[in-house]
Amino acid sequence: MGATVGCVRLPDGLVAVVKRDCPTCVLVEPVLRALGAAVWCQDDAAWFDGDDTNLELSYRLGIETVPTLLRVRAGVETARVVGWSREQWEQLTGVSGLGPALPDHRPGCGSLSVDPFRIDGLEARYGVSGLSSRRVELADAEDEHEALFDRGWTDGLPVVPPTPERVLRMLRGTTRDPREVVAVVPPDLVECTVEKVAVNAVMAGCLPEYLPVVLAALEAATSEEFALHGLLATTHFAGPVVIVNGPVAARIGMNSGVNALGQGNRANATIGRALQLVVRNVGGGRPGEVDRAAMGNPGKYTFCFAEREEDSPFPPLAADRGVAGDAVTVVAGSGVQPVVDQLSRDPESLARTLAACLRVNAHPKLPVAWDALLVVSPEHGRVFREAGWDRGRLLAELERLLLLPAAELVRGAGGMAEGVPDSMAGRELPKFRPGGLLVAHAGGPAGLFSAIVGGWVGGETGSVPVTREVRT
Amino acid sequence: MRTVLDPTGERQAPGRALLPRPVALEGRTVGLLDISKARGDVVLDRLEQLLTADGAHVRRYRKPTFARPAPVDLRHEIAEQCEVVIEALAD
Amino acid sequence: MHDIADLERRGVVALFLASEAFAEAARLQGEALGFPAPFVLVPHPVQDRTDDELRTIAERVYPDVVAALTA
Repeated sequence: MGATVGCVRLPDGLVAVVKRDCPTCVLVEPVLRALGAAVWCQDDAAWFDGDDTNLELSYRLGIETVPTLLRVRAGVETARVVGWSREQWEQLTGVSGLGPALPDHRPGCGSLSVDPFRIDGLEARYGVSGLSSRRVELADAEDEHEALFDRGWTDGLPVVPPTPERVLRMLRGTTRDPREVVAVVPPDLVECTVEKVAVNAVMAGCLPEYLPVVLAALEAATSEEFALHGLLATTHFAGPVVIVNGPVAARIGMNSGVNALGQGNRANATIGRALQLVVRNVGGGRPGEVDRAAMGNPGKYTFCFAEREEDSPFPPLAADRGVAGDAVTVVAGSGVQPVVDQLSRDPESLARTLAACLRVNAHPKLPVAWDALLVVSPEHGRVFREAGWDRGRLLAELERLLLLPAAELVRGAGGMAEGVPDSMAGRELPKFRPGGLLVAHAGGPAGLFSAIVGGWVGGETGSVPVTREVRT
Repeated sequence: MRTVLDPTGERQAPGRALLPRPVALEGRTVGLLDISKARGDVVLDRLEQLLTADGAHVRRYRKPTFARPAPVDLRHEIAEQCEVVIEALAD
Repeated sequence: MHDIADLERRGVVALFLASEAFAEAARLQGEALGFPAPFVLVPHPVQDRTDDELRTIAERVYPDVVAALTA
């Protein structure tokens, strides 16, 4: 008799698991040899007959401490003791007078199979991982990074190879079931599970604690009103921009300060990238195929930042949009247009500067259609804060300043063919549709600048910004 | 054996795919890369005639030794100048 | 084979010609590289053939070459 555990045949009788690095195991070696136990060793294949250096047996038997001594009868484990205790060992084996020279008891050591650095790999290899993604074996001579380029899975930069153990580790970042469908991703309209998001988050370089934010960003970006399919397929520049609010941003180390829209912060960089990789890999949205952007913009690698909520003149963006606390807002964006005003010290003057710069969004003669995101820096924000202007007040002022006489906008006016039809002459037209201008607060403490992120066509014919709660 | 999980919607095979092939070679620039093994050039000369007769534009290249991959400059040159390449002749 | 894998990566549709003696090596190398580099085989050996024989071989494999390079 005996039992098969994974690839290992476990005999009836006494079975032990040890590691040579453990002094207690070394101590009990003569006892194990005298008992004639079948012994598997975790770190030295030659010490005893049994070689468990791949830790399969240890993992499958759930060994947490070495030495562990088992009694197996008719293929079934009937008793187990851990560490060394003469009394317990004698009871289990039915043999008295074991190890007379040994102390009465000695605690064991941690099993290598529960080592935090090994457990994910063991779970991926031997466990019921629950992972359902297709497993792709890389060829022996393939470079693992080149292999991922060759399969078309990257955005042009290297990705972290999504091994099963890395994906399992990523999935620990959420309590959600790996099989839960999070989104239907365009353009191929593929159902995307939490697990597939985790695979792409690994590739993007995310830490597990970023995963809930990536999931929320994907949920927001694939909601109907965001119109991701159209955003992807357009010849226009825009791609999704992710703005994160709430305590989660600081908790996962996001940057809302110096260089917030730039490089250098892992969470900012990889969360935005993970969203884009899901669109590319799961949805099949690749440049030159469905993505028909004439020029694109560098934010299509990644464009994600946290709103600077401290010292902001405004309530958190997501809270103003109805979702307090941890939340993401996705908005279609096309790169950064700098706004410089180093002299305005009152909000009226600064608002005029912002309005003048916002007017050229897309084209100075094009009203209503094109959305934008205005990111106010702390030094500009201070002017509004000290004057008591909140987001609503600033938006109302900008709306007033950006009510444009159609005479200036009609085709041919100013010697430019672009513009609105003559039939609109005589009216006043708003630069932005209602809700077409978002205002956020981010950046470092020094610099009398703000940023305009030009959007895409807004409203029903285009994309509407979407805010979603970040759930764990 | 290294294993990765497929990040895609799994609608295509996960292997590395060949580039899409053109419908015909007519009008295409075809490189003939001689690996510098004896007598391979005779076969390549005849292939050049056949390709030219079919309307392909043929360019000839030669790597210094069959024993190593082509130098990177040569690979760049071929990639810039050709849409198709035939490497010959391993014997 | 490495050249073919690299040139395809650079966007050049590629193929190599080898004698039948290389069939197994080519298949194994393709597996190791994870890339089934396309090839066309000619009869072995090559080096001791007359020019006329080699030209005849070229003519004989030409349709296979075209087939492997076109859709």
